[in-house]
Amino acid sequence: MHGVKRKQYSREILKQKHLQDQLKIKTYKELVDKTLDTRDNKIFTSESLGLTSKVLELNPEFNTVWNYRRDIILHLRDTAPTEFWENELQFTMEKLRRFPKVYWIWNHRIWVLNNFPHATTKIWMVELAIVDKLLSMDARNYHGWHYRRLIIKKLETLTDKSMNTEELAYVTTIINKNISNYSAWHQRVQLITNLFEEHELKKEEMKKMVLEEILYITNAIYTDADDQSVWFYTKWFLENEIVRLILTGDEYIKMLEDMNNNIVLINNDDLEFSGTENSWCLKILIVIEDALKSTGHAVEEEHTKEYLKKLIELDPQRTKRYLHLLSK
Amino acid sequence: MADLSLLREKHIKYIESLDKKKDDYEYWLSEHLRLNGVYWGLTALCIMDAKDAFTKDSVIEFVMSCWDSNRGGFGPFPRHDSHLLTTLSAIQILATYDSLNILEETEKLDKCTEFIIANQLQDGSFQGDRFGEVDTRFVYTALNALSILGKLTPEIVDPAVDFILKCYNFDGGFGLCPGAESHAAQAFTCLGALKIANKLDALTPKQIEETGWWLSERQIPGGGLNGRPSKLPDVCYSWWVLSSLAIIGKLDWIDYEGLRKFILEAQDKIKGGISDRPDNEVDVYHTVFGLAGLSLMGFYNLVPIDPTYCMPLSITKKFKKYPYESNN
Repeated sequence: MHGVKRKQYSREILKQKHLQDQLKIKTYKELVDKTLDTRDNKIFTSESLGLTSKVLELNPEFNTVWNYRRDIILHLRDTAPTEFWENELQFTMEKLRRFPKVYWIWNHRIWVLNNFPHATTKIWMVELAIVDKLLSMDARNYHGWHYRRLIIKKLETLTDKSMNTEELAYVTTIINKNISNYSAWHQRVQLITNLFEEHELKKEEMKKMVLEEILYITNAIYTDADDQSVWFYTKWFLENEIVRLILTGDEYIKMLEDMNNNIVLINNDDLEFSGTENSWCLKILIVIEDALKSTGHAVEEEHTKEYLKKLIELDPQRTKRYLHLLSK
Repeated sequence: MADLSLLREKHIKYIESLDKKKDDYEYWLSEHLRLNGVYWGLTALCIMDAKDAFTKDSVIEFVMSCWDSNRGGFGPFPRHDSHLLTTLSAIQILATYDSLNILEETEKLDKCTEFIIANQLQDGSFQGDRFGEVDTRFVYTALNALSILGKLTPEIVDPAVDFILKCYNFDGGFGLCPGAESHAAQAFTCLGALKIANKLDALTPKQIEETGWWLSERQIPGGGLNGRPSKLPDVCYSWWVLSSLAIIGKLDWIDYEGLRKFILEAQDKIKGGISDRPDNEVDVYHTVFGLAGLSLMGFYNLVPIDPTYCMPLSITKKFKKYPYESNN
């Protein structure tokens, strides 16, 4: 099971566990049967809601019981006070704290928020603060990031105001804390793309941002040249259409050449300190050479083949990919 | 660790033992995964050429007992609600036993098909059930199930393909929905869906190369595969990554030997089964995906597996390939 240490139980301990389990199984099965009977009898009351709470307390992955709970809520919604909905959010939060990776709980929380009567911006702002906290504890949580995007989208719709700039500042903070946070780099791509596609910034502002981004990336690759998160982002940035449209042809070529020189320097440093070249430097140098060629700019001396041959030695796990590229 | 071999007999025994654990509390807490578990166990046995370790009639009887007569489709356990994930497992098990005709005989085929199709949304995506969770997992699940039943149509397939293409990311990977971070399991569901729809060519050769690159970078120095950059390796990615690479014809873009060792080291030498990582608790999910990975790489004369369906090739070759000739 994901992340659970393997144990060898002694016969004595197993015997004890079985004894205890029989009691737990009896309680659990009786409770589940009663809850499903109630459901089959189409009873949708606060009492039946209480039954689902008990089952979900024991087993938060019981999707069918979450479904029944939602059906009950739909029956009670017209008479339920606001406090009821707040309790429901509280209920899911307790579960999420214990089981942050269970899909069903996240689903239920989103469903509750979407059905919250007279939902205000404030509710979603609270939600944003919650997801901030969650991501500060588990900065790569896949559900957490997905949930963050859902909340932002909702807030943007409710306020009719883009949050791209604030969110970009947020991911910068996250990356500055840990440069290997690929989830944050991913989000950076989304946000820069949004800013460009939604014409949010003036042309000069967009250009200023691109120029600052070049410095940011350069800093990042000098900070950790072994981390693929930074390199995948760099690769995107160097090749993508937005940068090409914002920079003039000459500026674009200069950016590629500067980046090339910096990466060659980093690679030489690695060679000097560790005795081997840096495989990610070589991989990205190939991308840069490709990009330069695609501009029609004359590349004085082509290095791609030489890099690929070195990569076969340096990064043997991916030999077949390099052989494939060499054969092209 | 010098003597690493595949503990075939132990794994068969382990899978046989799974349904004899009704005295364990954990058995009852995992009801919501039971039908998926049967599919994983049966497929693992098929890969080891030990299909007969399960009793066909009782498995089929169990599958049919999971039918949700209120909504159509299959749940994970009797009395549980149907969901796309478990409906696919049911159909895969019946197909593996060459027993799909039971659906027609019991007048469930049309209801089952309707249940799946009814979960498709306006944008071509699928929700897992009526409560609206959208994920590329469900697009794959729906297309896979309908393809086994021979019920795909352009009205279903075309918008689904459009949705999948929107989930393609800057790094060559795929996310759970448009804008979501790349994840190896989502690469499998998206590429699998495109393959079933016969639409892999909707991606350009350059895009597919990027996908292959990102996937090949999932292999870490120890030989294991991770699902996202800077995450720990996990045996289940032996399936999600390898099957994705196989679908795009780039299976050998990782190092087989390193991965083979990583999978074998995660075996429980005493009671059989495979875990996510060495020394963790085994489960049937990691057991099947470890074995399926070994089969794809061609080790130990295991039964060949179809990377798109995660079922024996001898079975999937009988499926009607989309687009159907009679549609023209």
